[in-house]
Amino acid sequence: MRGVSVVGVGMIPFGKYTEKTLADLGWPAVKAAIADAGIEPRRIEAAYCGTALGGMMAGQRILGRIGLTGIPVANIENACSSSSTALRQGVMAIRSGEYDVVLVIGVEKLTKFGGGTLPLEEEDWEVSQGLVMPALYAMRARRYMHEFGLTSAQLAKVSVKNRSHGALNPDAQMRTPVSSEEVLASRLIADPFTLLQCCPTGDGAAAIILCAASIAKEFRSEAIRIRASDLTSGKYVSGFRDMTVPEITVRGAREAYEEAGLGPEDVDVAEVHDAFTIAELLYYEAFGFCAHGDAGAFLESGATSLGGSIVVNPSGGLLAKGHPIGATGAAQAVEIVRQLRGEAGARQVEGARVGLTHATGGGISGFDHGACSIHIFSR
Amino acid sequence: MAIDTSLTLQAPPESTPILLPGDALAKGDRGEPLLIGGRCTSCGERMFPRHPVCPSCMGEDIVSETMPRRGTLYSYSVVHVGPKKWNKPFALGYVDLANSLRVFSHLLLADLEIGSAMELDVAEVGRESDGTPIVSFVFKRVEA
Ligand SMILES: [Zn+2]
Repeated sequence: MRGVSVVGVGMIPFGKYTEKTLADLGWPAVKAAIADAGIEPRRIEAAYCGTALGGMMAGQRILGRIGLTGIPVANIENACSSSSTALRQGVMAIRSGEYDVVLVIGVEKLTKFGGGTLPLEEEDWEVSQGLVMPALYAMRARRYMHEFGLTSAQLAKVSVKNRSHGALNPDAQMRTPVSSEEVLASRLIADPFTLLQCCPTGDGAAAIILCAASIAKEFRSEAIRIRASDLTSGKYVSGFRDMTVPEITVRGAREAYEEAGLGPEDVDVAEVHDAFTIAELLYYEAFGFCAHGDAGAFLESGATSLGGSIVVNPSGGLLAKGHPIGATGAAQAVEIVRQLRGEAGARQVEGARVGLTHATGGGISGFDHGACSIHIFSR
Repeated sequence: MAIDTSLTLQAPPESTPILLPGDALAKGDRGEPLLIGGRCTSCGERMFPRHPVCPSCMGEDIVSETMPRRGTLYSYSVVHVGPKKWNKPFALGYVDLANSLRVFSHLLLADLEIGSAMELDVAEVGRESDGTPIVSFVFKRVEA
């Protein structure tokens, strides 16, 4: 199987761009990735565009702006995993030998919905009965607190850590640090979550240029290799389910580690799907960074903060960088590539050699989550 | 047992259709609310709500089955945000029933605690934009 390298990355700072169209959010990220790769645009043979709520032909609308047209474009919806799924489609296309160079885009404009909780699929019966994403994660949190004695103060520390990381990231939507007291005193959303324990609503775009590893040197001297590209879906269960174990991510992590021939001890930096504070803690355990039930203490040990042994969400994560859902997976990959190149500035994880990204989501009844996509990168 | 299906989730009739079979909520002999789920006659898989096909064997012969009215609260949250139509704050939770099904439901707000005994009831949980009450099944805490 052919190796795949990342030779270009770009994104726009996540934020609220109420006056911009989806196309005008997307093209600057693509142009930045092309410039970063130093590639002649016509070398790009195909494009994969992930968006969850961006509407039809998002990729064509973006690429039309910059004249990158006439190539195969596939638009991909997979909830919060939309652009990480697009990344995987790009990886598979190169592995297959079909193309040598492809473009991956993630884009979303959530401000068009006017704020509030993410609009979910109304045909789902739990949604029709009132389910909203904060409540789903809140139920996970409450059960975890009940079983393992996790405290509200420990939950709040996830936000404190990620906001302190985000303060160092010029592309983050939330760039001011917060204290535990501020997190706990912010207004209640879905108990135990207060506002500052929920990712903000916003807009964003990110882009990645992939190529066959054999030609990567044409574009960049320090191309980053993709060691694993995993996608899985949730398993439908109509009965009991342990909400303290994110089954889909546990399974995906196992598959990704196996594909990469690596394990949790090899990972230096990770961007995981911290849509709400509890999520990051569950994912420490799912990725094997710590044992089941130990995530609160592991966070408090500083292991996952900048300077720690496995830095989680140096970009600020979804909680601080923001979570324009279809753009998230691609933006995570942008961050990990910058970290592995040593280009992450004040938030650089020193000596990072192996990094992973993890985007999961899709609140539908009967599933832990609908989709999960994990990538492992190395320099 | 005679099941009176006059107590349905579509009542009042002008409310937005709820994505449950019309007889998902019914009334028992003593007027008590009942949830009606489904059981696959081919493999025995139980489900709530009742879908037309079995998620275990793809069988399409799904019969109605009355669900236990009591269960145990697995987890819950008191929610202060979300679509306008829900009365705020509102409580949501998962209730584990003795037939091994887990039901997602609105909860009555009082005294919620993981592991407590819950019983089925019916209540107004919101209002449509035209003011029409949304009546649905709920679970409330009871003595074990
Ligand atoms: Zn069956």
